[in-house]
Amino acid sequence: MKIAVVLRQVPDVVEELVIADDGRSLAEGEVMCITNEADEHALEEALILKSRQGGKVTAVAAGGDEAKDALATAVAKGADEAILVAVPFEHRGDNVRLASVLGPAMKSAGYDLILTGVWAADQMDAGLAGLLAVHLSLPYVGGVMSVSLEPSGAKGLVRKEFPGGRLGVMEVSLPAVLGIQSAEQPPRYVPVSKVMQAKRTLQVREQAEPSPVVQGIRASKLIKSGSAAKAEMLPGDAKQVAEQIVRILRERGIA
Amino acid sequence: MSAESLLVNVEERGAAGDATDEFMRRMLKLPMGDKLLSCIQCGMCSGSCPLGYAMDYTPRKMIAALRAGRVDDLYRSEAIWLCVACFNCTYRCPVGVPITDRLIAGLREELLGRGVGVPPELQAAFERTSRYGNPFGESSKKRDAWIEDAGVEVPVLQGGDSAEVLWWVGCFGSYNKRNQKDTIALARILHALDIDFGILGTDERCSGDLRCTSQGEEGLFDVLYHHNIEQLGKRKFKEILVGDPHAFNAFNKEYRRLGTPLDVSHYTQFLAERAPDLKRRAKKEITAKVAYHDSCCLGRRNGEYEAPRVLLETIPGVRLVEMPRNRENALCCGGGGGANWLDSYVWQRTRVPLAMQRVQEAAKTGAEILAISCPLEVPRFEDAIKTSGLEGRLQVREISHMLAEAIGLNGGVRP
Repeated sequence: MKIAVVLRQVPDVVEELVIADDGRSLAEGEVMCITNEADEHALEEALILKSRQGGKVTAVAAGGDEAKDALATAVAKGADEAILVAVPFEHRGDNVRLASVLGPAMKSAGYDLILTGVWAADQMDAGLAGLLAVHLSLPYVGGVMSVSLEPSGAKGLVRKEFPGGRLGVMEVSLPAVLGIQSAEQPPRYVPVSKVMQAKRTLQVREQAEPSPVVQGIRASKLIKSGSAAKAEMLPGDAKQVAEQIVRILRERGIA
Repeated sequence: MSAESLLVNVEERGAAGDATDEFMRRMLKLPMGDKLLSCIQCGMCSGSCPLGYAMDYTPRKMIAALRAGRVDDLYRSEAIWLCVACFNCTYRCPVGVPITDRLIAGLREELLGRGVGVPPELQAAFERTSRYGNPFGESSKKRDAWIEDAGVEVPVLQGGDSAEVLWWVGCFGSYNKRNQKDTIALARILHALDIDFGILGTDERCSGDLRCTSQGEEGLFDVLYHHNIEQLGKRKFKEILVGDPHAFNAFNKEYRRLGTPLDVSHYTQFLAERAPDLKRRAKKEITAKVAYHDSCCLGRRNGEYEAPRVLLETIPGVRLVEMPRNRENALCCGGGGGANWLDSYVWQRTRVPLAMQRVQEAAKTGAEILAISCPLEVPRFEDAIKTSGLEGRLQVREISHMLAEAIGLNGGVRP
């Protein structure tokens, strides 16, 4: 069983995001990258499948040089192979473009299963997994919460979340691309000493794909969200506060 | 029993003993690790553990299990994550077994290495500390944002700069909104005393106390240690002043052990040396009965019981009362050793938070103020006061904040 996991490097929103001078992109120099949260779940699911069924997990990072840290962490957690597909910063949020770069990079490797997070913090358009499936002519299921594979490796059983709290169980023939909503258990912890060790011995295969000519989408403007109206504390004792609440409700025609 | 004989015994037991053997070999390589072999099974540790009643394996039973070659039983025990690093066991052990720092830390380290059974809240704290240098997951660029509200100049030392005193603000003091008030109070006191001081600003990271207080994340400690000594090495200073007893412990013991001796004092020690000067300045009365809570890390762990009390006595109007369990017998707030991030884990297994027991004990003395010297205790005790229905009767106050009030330094922007 060969499983590939895509680890997208997205802007870390803990750090302040700065809009570049062009007014329609983020200032790259100010951005700290972090592995997309849903992709961390995809990696966890891949490692769960590996421990259950055996096989080989390949971590495929899409990003710049900083993605090597993400790859080292993935290897420390149990991934067997690390590939870096360089994607220029300005193209990373565009899943159509991303799929057209990752598709050829993953095409001939013979993966039985390709997992990505079902969403990304910086995505501008539809999910990556579905687009990748089109590029690779493979079946696709998104919103997946658990995967079990037949011992033969020909089929997989996935649980998918539907809106309204409903859950579907479906069969998918392999190879396939899955968009992972959440892994069966939270992403595992790997101690820093193991990550440091993995960094020292990490062997990354860098795969340079020619940037395809894709008619992607174009952000025309980036703006910071303004702060909403501030909360107002009503002063006074319970009776006074109650009177004020009644007045406010009447004024707004609610009561 | 010698180290060799224990290991030989373990080897005779065959495969079942292999994991125990490996664990013991690791222990024996660490300073004081061989003390584990001196245990006389008296049970003082288990009896003095404030959460021993909830442990399937108490410290004494843990050592007994090791002797029986059954370390795997310990790896399956939840007791490993119940330790709150209060150091009662270590302090009271008649033969000096470093239970908290070696036995518990060693067991946790093994589980961390396997990546199994690590409670999720603690895991998140580790990951954030590793990425951002603080357990809250705040941007490291915002570490010194509090100085805008300080109302006095707080010099941020850049590489090559120098000051007499380097003030290590710490994660809680830098980021926690409630602790920031006390941080600012201390800044104003240092300013009033004309101390030539500076801070590291955004170059400061968690002191790495994580590991020192027996969480067992050795690798993370190592990374933080190297970052911090590199940053400290770029500045010139004579001594380090810390606000958090856990950072005090890290510098005082662990950094020293790793080859970086620093002249470090907790702020209560630093200010207690200047008590006569502070007494002259402290004009405003704080008329209240005050009970001081000895933090485990400053008290039992580092033997400082007097400095905080000396400072409280410089404040006019303060009547110091003692809780029945004080000084080396003080009850832990329950936040040490990573337990600040294990609250729900510990609560599910004990149901009576230590912080609640402690604030009730303080209230029984008739104290109106529970004075503290460790930043973790402010949020912990304030929450406990709310859940114990003691709001309005008991206040939690950092000694620095009380001192600043007595000297007339509070008010203005924040405190």
